[in-house]
Amino acid sequence: MSVLNMFHKHPELNTASILLVETERQHQDKLAEAILAAQRSFNVNVHLADSLPLPTRNEANRPRIDLVVFIVNHFSSRSLELTKSYLQHLDVMYFLGRLCFLVNDARSAKSDPDKLHAVREMAAKYSSPLLFTELQTEQGLATAADRLLVFTKVSAGFVPGVSSLFLNTLTSCSHPMESSSNTLVDTD
Amino acid sequence: MEGRSLNYSLRQKKEAEDPMVRAHQYFDDAKPGILWKGNDILEMHLTNIENQAFGWGLSPVLIDVLLDFALGLKAGRATSARIMKCLIPATVVPENSLIKGVSWICVGTLPTNLQITFFRWFITMFDFIDSKEHLNSLYGILFYFLQDENLCPYVCNLLYLLTTRENVKPYRVRRVMDLYSKIGMQPYFKDLLALYKVLRPDLVSISIPSRSKNSFKNADTTWKAAILAVQKKKKSEISLTLTESSDLKKPRMQLSRKRKYNKMMTVPPVESRLPETTSLSFVNLTRPKMFPIVQLTSFQQLLQNIDKIELPSQMGSVLNSHLLLHYINCVKDDSVFLRFDYWLGHTLNEEFLHCKYASSSTEVQDFFNKLITAQSFLQEGFHSSEMFVYKFLQVWDTSLYRTQILSLLSCVSVGQKADLMQPLYEPLTSLFFSSSVYFKCSLFDCLNNLLVNWLTWHSVYATDAVDMSLPGHSPMNMNLSVVVKSISELIEFVGRIATIGLHLEGYHTLFLHFVLNFYETVCDMYLLYDLPLVIMPPAGVFYPALLSMDAINLNQLCHIMYRYRENLVAAKNPELQSKRRLYISSATYKECNQYVVTMVNYLWNSKAHVSSNTLDTGLNSEILKKANITDFKKRFNVVYHPALFGYALDFCKKCWTNKGQSNINSIKGKYWDYYLKYLYSQNLRGLKEFIESSVSRKAESTSD
Repeated sequence: MSVLNMFHKHPELNTASILLVETERQHQDKLAEAILAAQRSFNVNVHLADSLPLPTRNEANRPRIDLVVFIVNHFSSRSLELTKSYLQHLDVMYFLGRLCFLVNDARSAKSDPDKLHAVREMAAKYSSPLLFTELQTEQGLATAADRLLVFTKVSAGFVPGVSSLFLNTLTSCSHPMESSSNTLVDTD
Repeated sequence: MEGRSLNYSLRQKKEAEDPMVRAHQYFDDAKPGILWKGNDILEMHLTNIENQAFGWGLSPVLIDVLLDFALGLKAGRATSARIMKCLIPATVVPENSLIKGVSWICVGTLPTNLQITFFRWFITMFDFIDSKEHLNSLYGILFYFLQDENLCPYVCNLLYLLTTRENVKPYRVRRVMDLYSKIGMQPYFKDLLALYKVLRPDLVSISIPSRSKNSFKNADTTWKAAILAVQKKKKSEISLTLTESSDLKKPRMQLSRKRKYNKMMTVPPVESRLPETTSLSFVNLTRPKMFPIVQLTSFQQLLQNIDKIELPSQMGSVLNSHLLLHYINCVKDDSVFLRFDYWLGHTLNEEFLHCKYASSSTEVQDFFNKLITAQSFLQEGFHSSEMFVYKFLQVWDTSLYRTQILSLLSCVSVGQKADLMQPLYEPLTSLFFSSSVYFKCSLFDCLNNLLVNWLTWHSVYATDAVDMSLPGHSPMNMNLSVVVKSISELIEFVGRIATIGLHLEGYHTLFLHFVLNFYETVCDMYLLYDLPLVIMPPAGVFYPALLSMDAINLNQLCHIMYRYRENLVAAKNPELQSKRRLYISSATYKECNQYVVTMVNYLWNSKAHVSSNTLDTGLNSEILKKANITDFKKRFNVVYHPALFGYALDFCKKCWTNKGQSNINSIKGKYWDYYLKYLYSQNLRGLKEFIESSVSRKAESTSD
């Protein structure tokens, strides 16, 4: 089984690489554009994939990946299952703060509290951050890009004295929210 | 249309020939027991009426007559059913004919299917009724019809349309609950109960699943289609007559429709059950005690009628009216807040949190802004908006309605359970550390406002009662120790995230400024807000500010330390100490003293990095000597401090312009005093306060 390794390659000077993994390829492109457009003090490569493991033929040309982002579609349970299956193709080191889950449109009427809960549980299980985003708007895209760059900056080692594991302890999703199927509770 | 150009006599002649006029006369004069089989005259009139109805609609008078004819069963059931089908209003439906219709139902001779047809017609025409002043008095009678299994769904629908707060009575709620349990979980009962719960949350104790959509089909499609067709044809004419005949009622009618059928995030208009056009004498006759809220226009009126205000039928409308906010602020009735809270929670959850594209962003912003204004006016947060904020933080992307959400967040009340860890601090921590520095700044501003709100609340209520057990409706009955615990938890939380946040952002100047703003509130808690609590900033905030590169932050730190000193000195007053319990430990005094000594050493005595106390930067002189840093001891005094170096250079230029020997080293002795005066003149008031309070004149003489 091929595994995406963290430390098999040298980092490039003042450059960080992000890998965006999304099964359905709905928001990937726009988010990548937003990341490249965001204000930052270092160079960023964004790599897109719809599944892991990555194909082996480009292995040599690929730079070191500093942050892996999974965009989970919480409307379909297939997306969640696939994401879980991709995780085994990641080096252990990625689980120490170089991994991030992203859920779009979680406050929508269509969203199923149980599925959202399952995504939370997964993020909590791998003690990784879970970001909620509104990728359908320009502003939401820019904010999501900014927030991913905060993680990238740390995991690529551009912030002195802060390791990705340290940031991870502060941002990881720890408590899955209680199921909120009944929003109207008794007031008495 | 042509008739307008003709003269009067011609028109009269034409009207006499008009089949409608003749039909009107025929149906009006009809006696019961007309034969319908083979009755050519009846058939002719019916055909004429049908043509008119589906073509142009029927006039209000004709509808009145025809409804009377049909429900009176004057020509058999089949004819009645046929007439009911073609009752399409051209303009409006008179209220009186509906009341007459309901009385026909009460007679009990009508067959069930005709009763159902009538109620369906009633519901469909509800929005076309010309006035609804007296319809509500039918409520009791209509409620009685709930017993009839066949009519039940339609009656429920009708009641749903008619219900105002006054109609919701304990015995009615009991009756509906009985039927609900007997007949089963019918959606129409559920919706009616949900409405009852919105209006009187104190009476309905069961929880109603919120996701159920409104099950009432408002319109009967065949009638609705016919009405639409008629309206389309006569659009211009109808709008003309409507503005003429029911100028006042039209906007209200539209608004009420919007209220119930459109899922929108709007504040309902101020409405009450009493019509706005009635004269006061009429009001006095029927409801001697009530003053309709729509007539309330000035504060003077509010004062005069404060004991007989009738609350609006939709509590949400108080957000629109300042006078009503005044009123609910002083009213002692718990149910007012309960009603409002219920409405607010429902709106926020259903129409914002779970409803995506229905509301435009400006609409939502308007709504939030109104809510924020109301909260700042009442100076307390609503329970349901708090719950909403906690829930929303869980799925927030940090940019959606940032300003509004942060304002709502700063209105969260001091926790009764004093445990905000899970709902508030945990989600905030992960949002804070995963966001850009600008969000960090806004969040600190919000936390500062939150602290100010808590302290203001404390200072207002604490002065009234010594033991803080408050009378009245305020839900925040709690003792001092809980308040102190909540506030110190908040300050500790902020201290933690500030230390790490500053480190993560490389001691960003702007962010540091926001952090110091927060501590500017913290340092004055005792003197300004009368809260017997002093908490020092952590070293992770103190040293970055002391060694910062810009004068504003250093100046602010000096001001903060000066205020800390003042607060602690005031708290040491033995008279005060005996009077009340203080939550200031001796460790706080020690910590403050250490900070002050360190600052004096750095800024005044030129003894940087030499103190032995544990809170210092940890750099010892050996290391600095090894790194070939000379004169490190005076690098942070008022002359050489990186934040003040620019001022020192400027001072030199101004002082020694002519002699041409601008040497910073020569700021000594009397020039040191001049330099200080120069610094004070540059608006560095914090520095002035600190030096004048903490540095004794003896120390000054030795420092030369």
